[in-house]
Amino acid sequence: MKRSVWRDFTIGIIEENPLFSLVIGLCAALAVSSKVENAIFMGVAASFVMVASNILISLIRKIIPNQIRIPVFIVVIASFVTIVDLSMKAFFPAGYEALGVWIPLIVVNCMILGRAEAFASKNGVIRSIADGLGKGLGYTLALLVIAVIRELGGTGQIVAFENTIVSLKGFQPPQILQSFPGAFFTFGILMGLLRKLQRKGE
Amino acid sequence: MQRLFLIFLAAFLINNILLIRFIGLCPFFGVSSRFETSVGMSMAVVFVMTLATLVCWGVWNFLLDPLGVGEFLYIPAFILVIASLVQFVEMVIRKVSPTLFKAMGIFLPLITTNCAVLAAATESVKPGFWKLSLEYNYGLGEALIYTIGIALGFSMVIIMFAAMRERIEIAPIPRSFKGFPIAFIAAGLSSLAFLGFKGLFGI
Repeated sequence: MKRSVWRDFTIGIIEENPLFSLVIGLCAALAVSSKVENAIFMGVAASFVMVASNILISLIRKIIPNQIRIPVFIVVIASFVTIVDLSMKAFFPAGYEALGVWIPLIVVNCMILGRAEAFASKNGVIRSIADGLGKGLGYTLALLVIAVIRELGGTGQIVAFENTIVSLKGFQPPQILQSFPGAFFTFGILMGLLRKLQRKGE
Repeated sequence: MQRLFLIFLAAFLINNILLIRFIGLCPFFGVSSRFETSVGMSMAVVFVMTLATLVCWGVWNFLLDPLGVGEFLYIPAFILVIASLVQFVEMVIRKVSPTLFKAMGIFLPLITTNCAVLAAATESVKPGFWKLSLEYNYGLGEALIYTIGIALGFSMVIIMFAAMRERIEIAPIPRSFKGFPIAFIAAGLSSLAFLGFKGLFGI
C-alpha cells in the first residue's frame, strides 16, 4: 500500500526524526545548538537545501545514469548550498559569522544526501517535497528543543534577533550546558528519554 | 618552526575536531562501536584528508583564486575534488595492495560524506574561516600541518572511544539508554576532559 502525501510529511517529524531516531546530520546539530538564533538559521538553511534538492533530483531522476548518481546528487546539493552561503553572507552577516564553516558543511550533511538517495531518486515531485518539508521540520524542531534547553539552562535567558524572549530571574545557570560537553549530555539524555516514551507507547 | 608546532597542537588537541568542534560526528558514532573498524576508519581518514587538502590547495591557489570565481565555486569544487579523490584512491589501493584495501577499503566511500574532510580542506585553504588566534598565512606547509593535526586528532579520539564503547557494552545501563544515548553521554565526559586543554600555550 502506498503512503499518502500527508503521511510522507508527518513521518519525518516524530517517528523518523532525522536527529533523534535516524541519528543522522548530527555534527551541525550539536555545534550550532548553543543559541536558539543559530538553531533557527541552521534549521531553515538545511530545510531549504533539502526541499530544493529533493525537487530538482526527483525531476531529473529518470535521466540520471545510475552509476554516477551520487556525484550528480552532490553537485545539485552543492549548488543550493552555494545559494544559501552567498545569500546568508549578503542578508544575515551576523548569522553567517556565527555559523562559519557550518554553512559549506551542509553539503556533506548526510541527512540531505540520504534523503536524495533514499527518497527523491525514487519518488515523484509532490511526494519528495512533502518528504523534504517533513524531515526539514523534524530537524528544525529537534534543533530548537536542544537549543532552548542549552540556552535557557546555560545562560538563564533566550536572546534571539536582539530581543530577549524569556529571562529567568534568580536562577544560577549551570554554564556547562552552553559549553561543548553540555551538547553531548543534553542530546544523549533527550534521546534516552524519547526512547523511553516511545517504548511506553507500544 | 614553533608556530607550525602550535598550529599542529591546536588542531590535534586543543581544538580537537570531534570532541571540541563536533565535526565528523556521524562516522564517529557509526564506526566506533568496534575497535578494528575504528582503526581502519582512522587510517583512511588520515590518508584522504591529507591528500584532499593538498589537491584543494592547488585548486584554490592555481585555479579558483586567479580566475576570481572562488567565492561562488569553492563548495562544488572542493566536494568534487574530495569525491573523485576518494574514488581514485579506492581504485589505486585495490590494485596495489589487497591487504590495505581489506583494512580500509569499505571505509573509503563513507569518507566522501565525512564533513571533517571538507572542513579541514575549506578552513586550511580558503581565507575567511580561520578562527584561531594564531597567525596563519595559508601556505602549503601550514595547510598540511593543520590538516595532519586534525586527522591525527580524529584518529586518536575515535580509537580511544572505540575502546571505551567496548567496555560500555557490558556495563549495566538502563534499557532506554543502551547504544547511542549512553555513547553521547560518554562522549560528553570525554569532551569535558578535552576542555581542560583549553588555554594551553594561550591558544
